[in-house]
Amino acid sequence: MSSLSATIQEVFNEPGCGKNANKTEAERKKGCTKQLQPGGAAGGCAFDGAKIALQPLTDVAHLVHGPIACEGNSWDNRGARSSGSNIWRTGFTTDINETDIVFGGEKRLYKAVKEIIEKYDPPAIFVYQTCVPAMIGDDINAVCKAASAKFGKPVIPVNAPGFVGPKNLGNKLAGEALLDHVIGTQEPDFTTPYDLNIIGEYNLSGELWQVKPLLDELGIRIFSCISGDGKYREVAYSHRAKAAMMVCSKAMINVARKMEERYGIPFFEGSFYGIQDSSDSLREIARLLIERGAPDELMARTEAVIAREEAKSWASIEPYKPRFAGKKVLLITGGVKSWSVVAALQEAGLEMVGTSVKKSTKEDKERIKELMGQDAHMIDDMTPREMYKMLKDAKADIMLSGGKSQFVALKAAMPWLDINQERSHAYMGYVGMAKLMEEIDKALFNPVWEQLRQPAPWENTAKNWQAKATAQMEAEAAQLGVDPVAAEAARRARKICYCKMVDLGAIEDAIRAHALTTVDEIKERTTASSNCGSCKGRIEDVLAASAASAPAPVLQAAE
Amino acid sequence: MTQNAEHVLDHFELFRGPEYQQMLANKKKMFENPRDPAEVERIREWAKTPEYREKNFAREALTVNPAKACQPLGAVFAAVGFEGTLPFVHGSQGCVAYYRSHLSRHFKEPSSCVSSSMTEDAAVFGGLNNMIDGLANTHAMYKPKMIAVSTTCMAEVIGDDLNAFIKTAKEKGSVPAEFDVPFAHTPAFVGSHVTGYDNALKGIIEHFWDGKAGTAPKLERQPNDKINFIGGFDGYTVGNTREIKRIFDLMGIEHTILADNSDVFDTPTDGEFRMYDGGTTLEDAANAIHAKATISMQHYSTEKTLPFIAGHGQETVSFNHPIGVTATDDFIMALSRISGKEIPEALTLERGRLVDAMADSGAHIHGKKFAIYGDPDLCLGLAAFLLELGAEPTHVLATNGNKAWAEKVQAVFDSSPFGKNCHVYPGKDLWHMRSLLFTDPVDFLIGNTYGKYLERDTGTPLIRIGFPIFDRHHHHRYPVWGYQGGMNVLVRILDKIFDEIDKNTNVPAKTDYSFDIIR
Repeated sequence: MSSLSATIQEVFNEPGCGKNANKTEAERKKGCTKQLQPGGAAGGCAFDGAKIALQPLTDVAHLVHGPIACEGNSWDNRGARSSGSNIWRTGFTTDINETDIVFGGEKRLYKAVKEIIEKYDPPAIFVYQTCVPAMIGDDINAVCKAASAKFGKPVIPVNAPGFVGPKNLGNKLAGEALLDHVIGTQEPDFTTPYDLNIIGEYNLSGELWQVKPLLDELGIRIFSCISGDGKYREVAYSHRAKAAMMVCSKAMINVARKMEERYGIPFFEGSFYGIQDSSDSLREIARLLIERGAPDELMARTEAVIAREEAKSWASIEPYKPRFAGKKVLLITGGVKSWSVVAALQEAGLEMVGTSVKKSTKEDKERIKELMGQDAHMIDDMTPREMYKMLKDAKADIMLSGGKSQFVALKAAMPWLDINQERSHAYMGYVGMAKLMEEIDKALFNPVWEQLRQPAPWENTAKNWQAKATAQMEAEAAQLGVDPVAAEAARRARKICYCKMVDLGAIEDAIRAHALTTVDEIKERTTASSNCGSCKGRIEDVLAASAASAPAPVLQAAE
Repeated sequence: MTQNAEHVLDHFELFRGPEYQQMLANKKKMFENPRDPAEVERIREWAKTPEYREKNFAREALTVNPAKACQPLGAVFAAVGFEGTLPFVHGSQGCVAYYRSHLSRHFKEPSSCVSSSMTEDAAVFGGLNNMIDGLANTHAMYKPKMIAVSTTCMAEVIGDDLNAFIKTAKEKGSVPAEFDVPFAHTPAFVGSHVTGYDNALKGIIEHFWDGKAGTAPKLERQPNDKINFIGGFDGYTVGNTREIKRIFDLMGIEHTILADNSDVFDTPTDGEFRMYDGGTTLEDAANAIHAKATISMQHYSTEKTLPFIAGHGQETVSFNHPIGVTATDDFIMALSRISGKEIPEALTLERGRLVDAMADSGAHIHGKKFAIYGDPDLCLGLAAFLLELGAEPTHVLATNGNKAWAEKVQAVFDSSPFGKNCHVYPGKDLWHMRSLLFTDPVDFLIGNTYGKYLERDTGTPLIRIGFPIFDRHHHHRYPVWGYQGGMNVLVRILDKIFDEIDKNTNVPAKTDYSFDIIR
């Protein structure tokens, strides 16, 4: 386990991570991912993160070493697409039992590897560690090593048992497994100046295939994709690529950065999500390849393709304009990544009335204002009842968000369209925008929403939950209006840091009492922002507000 | 290999064997004057063209593959809904065998019904003797509590007078004078099975309410708070009637289901053969006159019954086979209005669940095109539900639909932007539908079992909703009315949609990159 904790430490130290760069040495040690809150509704574990990051490798047998819980609940749950093998979809697990727990599961694991090789003969087997075998001390590294030697086939340990942390950490540990055991272990038949790695792209709904024709046209070869529609051999020789594009930066930044460090492959972070981003990414790919020796004319060809595709893409949006006129959109997504669709949505005539800023930095918020105007609602954390109110006040016709918000949205009678990763439509690239518009159009005009918004006709609308919620909110507001003390208490009770549960009042008090002027000082005094750091932007806002509001610290100092 | 006793093959496999294939090929070649296969193929393709469609729609005399059945079938269906009642069809026994097999194949239950077995001499001299003997035998052999008489064409053509015949038969002692023998004239050359249902039900009610054909005093209406309910001719009667009773009970409304055949078409297997089971008691049928109101779920099944009831001083309300949220809302609210009872929370919750289900999966139905055929009310109910889901009921066809029905369907189209490109086809048949599916294709077809030929020929996936459903079992146990019924219809449609997605993505190493477990 010592090597695992060392790896985790290393991942936390990732210098390629923008957030990390702003942290102190001590903070970095604590780790970059949000610590799990006992009692909270948590997301997936590290194992799940590792599995979903690597599972899109299509010709590999993914063997989960553990009790049935881990693979039984999750096999083939990924909407990635394969152009070849289907073995990645087959659920392999050692399904360990009580006896294995008592006597150890290593032998069973070894046998399971043997049986996969005998029956399926895949180019490699990935063995995933899970909590139980990790706790009883099964050494999957040793088993994989022995099996590799015995069968002459790569058997790769993926050491990310669930208990080490959340999903995002698992993504990175999966990357480490590739770096340690796969990348650089084989050589390609030939290379060209146009060889590109794409890292952190999973080919969900086959969306990579929507972009591939453009790359093909430009003569750019997807040398290796980690991991969407990837093949083991391609990953093994990926160290010979000329350049890399890093798609989902949170997941596999360590892979891109270390490949740059070890093999001199430059990378950039980009996306094919939205028209502008697609163009930027194509340009950046061309630039990096030219830098690495591709002929200069590549850029001219790239620009030509960009001009053509942009024109086509904008034209495809055109027909939606009259239908979208006056429609208002609420965009609730992970953050910056999906903002590049905003331009396209606006071009189509949709009005953006708000977006989530729970994890946004100050810069992010500035950009939102730039994109959506000063009136854009920045939603920190919206409860279903607030969501309902927003809808009722006709502030939004539809919510675009990830799958997580789906059910809340529906229960709050909010029309909703999934634009995140579990969706079943491909929105990537220039053509993806047309698909997105089509889906938004369908969602906007689906008569089911009308039904959803209408209470049962016999319902006493003065008595249903929506009315009660509205009444309650109004009553609370009215109460606060006449009761300045309560209003002040409510204002001060607003949560600023969710990890450490620090509210506005505590921060204001600290600022006042100690004349604090920086986030770091506040962190020291109140522990706010000392964990995941995503509330930094909010703290900056508080600082700005209190600086503007009064010479309060001075007064206090005078007292 | 020909059939052999060691290993008996059924017809699926047997006739694919080389010797049978050879035999059939020889027969064709030597005796059947075979056409050039290319010519056959050319004609097959031609039958898919707009040109052919025009000729097809110009048909005046010929009906090909009708989507309707005859009056007495509906009469038999209504009659078995009364306690201990044996339907007695005055006419030829061959027709009666059809009604029995039709109902039996749909419900997978025995269907009891007798006929007066008229033969050629009866056709010449009149069927009086058949009526006299028939009623006597029926009464003696099957010990019914009531015999409900309807007619086949044969009796209608010669003009047999049921009222007089039954009177004479009673005088001759076929059945006791006070024994209930309601009747209805149900010629197949008028209307369809829904008309027969209407006539038979009206005949039975009239019998009890209006003095039993002059043998008893007419009933005096003394209004109470009960509500009568009529389902109409409904292939889902087993599930639907039970669902409706549940809703009535939830609301605390005292009610009488008229023609309640939900038990007789769903008898348990427990060692006892039930020739009769459940049904509206004769007492309830008589007392139904006192009810506050009568609700019919199918307007076209009760076109005569409802006015008759209204004529006795009750309020009557009819629906068009309500399916889905809005249609069910209307039904529930009518119940509430008439009875003065509040709609219970339980139903509000069920409604919310249906809305929730529609919102969860509506995107898969939204924008899809459907062709629907079936009985007039069912078509209306389904079309309205599809519009509610944002689907387009592109072709709506009822062989037994008339002009008034077509106007009603058009009004439903006009009520929604999704109805813009939809068309209604009254009086057309399934061969017309075939042309429509070729020249103006849709994503899915909704209809009864006979739709499977259309599915095969045109490749339009068939969602089986309607009557009869012969080739799938037990659908009739699941309601399509009420919010839970709406849920069942929704699921049936979705199942087909997802089956199709799976079917289109299941070729290994070719299309199966989208053969997903999550849809």
